[in-house]
Amino acid sequence: MKQEGLAYFTDTYLTAIGLLIFFLFFCAVLLWINRKSAKQFYGKMEQIPLNDGEFIYERQ
Amino acid sequence: MSNSTEKIYYDDDIVKKFTLATVGWALAAFVFGLLIALQLAYWPLNMNLEWVTFGRLRPLHTNAAIFAFAGNAIFAGIYYSTQRLLKTRMFSDTLSKIHFWGWQLIIVSAAITLPLGYTQSKEYAELEWPIDIAIAVIWVLFGLNFFMTLKRRREKHMYVAIWFYIATIITVGVLHIVNSIEIPVSMFQSYPVYAGIQDALVQWWYGHNAVAFFLTTPFLGLMYYFVPKAANRPIYSYRLSIIHFWSLVFIYIWAGPHHLLYTSLPDWAQTLGMVFSIMLWAPSWGGMINGLLTLKGSWGLLRTEPLLKFFVAALTFYGMATFEGPLLSIKSVSALGHYTDWIVGHVHAGALGWNGFLSFGMIYYLVPRLWKTEHYSKKLLENHFWISLVGVVLYYTSMVAAGITQGLMWRAVGKDGQLVYPDFIETVVRIVPLYWVRAIGGFLFIVGFVLMCYNLYKTIKNAPKPVVEVSEVKRSGYDEVVTETHRKLEGLGLTFSILTFLAIAVGSVIEIYPTLALNKYIRPEQIVEPYTPLELAGRDIYIKEGCYLCHSQQIRPIVSEVLRYGKASTVEESMYDRPFQWGSKRTGPDLARVGKKYPNLWHFSHMMDPRAVTPKSIMPNYPWLAEKKTDFLVLRKKLSVMHKLGVPYEQDVIANADIYAQKQAKGIAEDLEHNGGPKGLENKEIVALIAYIQSLGQKGKAQ
Repeated sequence: MKQEGLAYFTDTYLTAIGLLIFFLFFCAVLLWINRKSAKQFYGKMEQIPLNDGEFIYERQ
Repeated sequence: MSNSTEKIYYDDDIVKKFTLATVGWALAAFVFGLLIALQLAYWPLNMNLEWVTFGRLRPLHTNAAIFAFAGNAIFAGIYYSTQRLLKTRMFSDTLSKIHFWGWQLIIVSAAITLPLGYTQSKEYAELEWPIDIAIAVIWVLFGLNFFMTLKRRREKHMYVAIWFYIATIITVGVLHIVNSIEIPVSMFQSYPVYAGIQDALVQWWYGHNAVAFFLTTPFLGLMYYFVPKAANRPIYSYRLSIIHFWSLVFIYIWAGPHHLLYTSLPDWAQTLGMVFSIMLWAPSWGGMINGLLTLKGSWGLLRTEPLLKFFVAALTFYGMATFEGPLLSIKSVSALGHYTDWIVGHVHAGALGWNGFLSFGMIYYLVPRLWKTEHYSKKLLENHFWISLVGVVLYYTSMVAAGITQGLMWRAVGKDGQLVYPDFIETVVRIVPLYWVRAIGGFLFIVGFVLMCYNLYKTIKNAPKPVVEVSEVKRSGYDEVVTETHRKLEGLGLTFSILTFLAIAVGSVIEIYPTLALNKYIRPEQIVEPYTPLELAGRDIYIKEGCYLCHSQQIRPIVSEVLRYGKASTVEESMYDRPFQWGSKRTGPDLARVGKKYPNLWHFSHMMDPRAVTPKSIMPNYPWLAEKKTDFLVLRKKLSVMHKLGVPYEQDVIANADIYAQKQAKGIAEDLEHNGGPKGLENKEIVALIAYIQSLGQKGKAQ
């Protein structure tokens, strides 16, 4: 049974390529969001939903 | 110009329409869910009527829950938040209306065709080809309306919720179109272009990502908008939301094969699915933590604003379900959990707990704002929450207990090397009490929901007359001097959308492309014979009655399975199966090698009254199969389509398919009569079905 399983296991490089692509991509995103200048920008971005003038409750 | 205030009118009428549709269809989805739950606990509720048997109603329940309830909820939330996040009215009111009415029409056609048995038997993609085309058209129009709105926005930077909506629109379109490539046989029947393992892989690539991109990404978008709004504080970490988005979009698309672990799908694809499923743990929990921590410092609001409870519970269930999903994707855990009610419990933790509660929270948030009023009763809202929560917990715990119990009983092998519970029915009888507990849980969930309906009705009834409200907005972000690539990207809708498409395309191509070369996995010495015309007719009846919802056709290479059902299934055995019938649940036993195991009369008796041959069986009766006639003439067309798709039927067999089928049917009918069965069954559906069942596992050389 094990041998049968291994007989199908012919495309290992696909798994490896997939993981590699994701790992590199993930590293890029990580570097990207931690840019020095990003803090102020994200501070502005996170306020977008709150900026339609509607206040529901008083801030605690 | 860029900073001057502009007066605009948001289209809230469309949001109201989708909100009310959500509530209406939710009731239908929940009630059908309760009915089929009760049918499993008490089989006579199948009522001997073909239109209300479990096999017909289960797809109706899942389609209603996913596309009618969750779908309308998504649209309501997207139309509301998109206009506000982009500071513009939707691009076209006409497109919005076509989207709304088109979608409702699709739901109505699903509600008519599914109980009539028109199904492709691919889970969450059951609807037949004319409806598939309608879905594609309406989806594209929705996408057009959304992207044109994006183009005309006054807020240049796209908030993370918009990213999730973009990913949803693009990916659902791709998934639906690729999985629905089929050749029509008649107005309400088609065969997929994929067969066997291809069909299985494409279907679960679709099926899993229907969960990912219809029930997760849009709801995460809604979460990123409505939780900060309801708590009146920004999302805990915008950085985390970016990692959450890209990781989720990139990883999710790969995880489909975890639905096919231990099947005859090539091992590399199984491993790929498992590894990426485990990787999903991280972004999913990142998202959950981000949502929950948004309430940091505002937990006191839970006391005064009970609707926040729904959001907190939804995020908790999201965390729980996304912990359990990767766990179930580990091969050794899947070996126990797959095909059992554990999966049903897992799905409902997500559907009721995550999608349900998030939708309820959103509706409770939206209704007073849309109708410019206040909730009729916060007390009712609070009661809804607690009653439904108890319902979900009962549902979940009972199903996990049932699944693990049954899974352990299936795999129990004694010291003598024999199965401890060789009769499948023993393992069913043991969990029927838990089916009752599940039904009680579902009932409580509905009780809570009815309270919500009453509360909303009173709220809307007490609302003042509608007035058109003007909103004042300022263009924002357009006067910045953009120097960085990253900030440019967030301002570029089209580029962003292309990148999102690429992120989902990588996984899809790597996974699906190799299986298109099916011959690589087929061993010439194991090639099977195609179905005879009568068997094909029977196969279509098997599909029509939804047999695949309770019976798998895939024996896993696990000792207990081989002992119970026979040699593990091979790739070749389903190479002509369009659609594949591997199934995903075993309420009854696997049927991959049931052919020739019992005489024809046994099958006849079993279909007429399962308890006549298997005492305590919970399977419905199928008396109409002995009354309805087989359509022999259409077989020529069916075989001809199959031939076009590559099934090696000879021209003579295609041209005389009806004659071949009638001849074979006569033989089976004579056998039934000879052994004491009724006369004159040769042109009845039951004979075709028996022919198909008797052929299972008999075509290849593996048995």
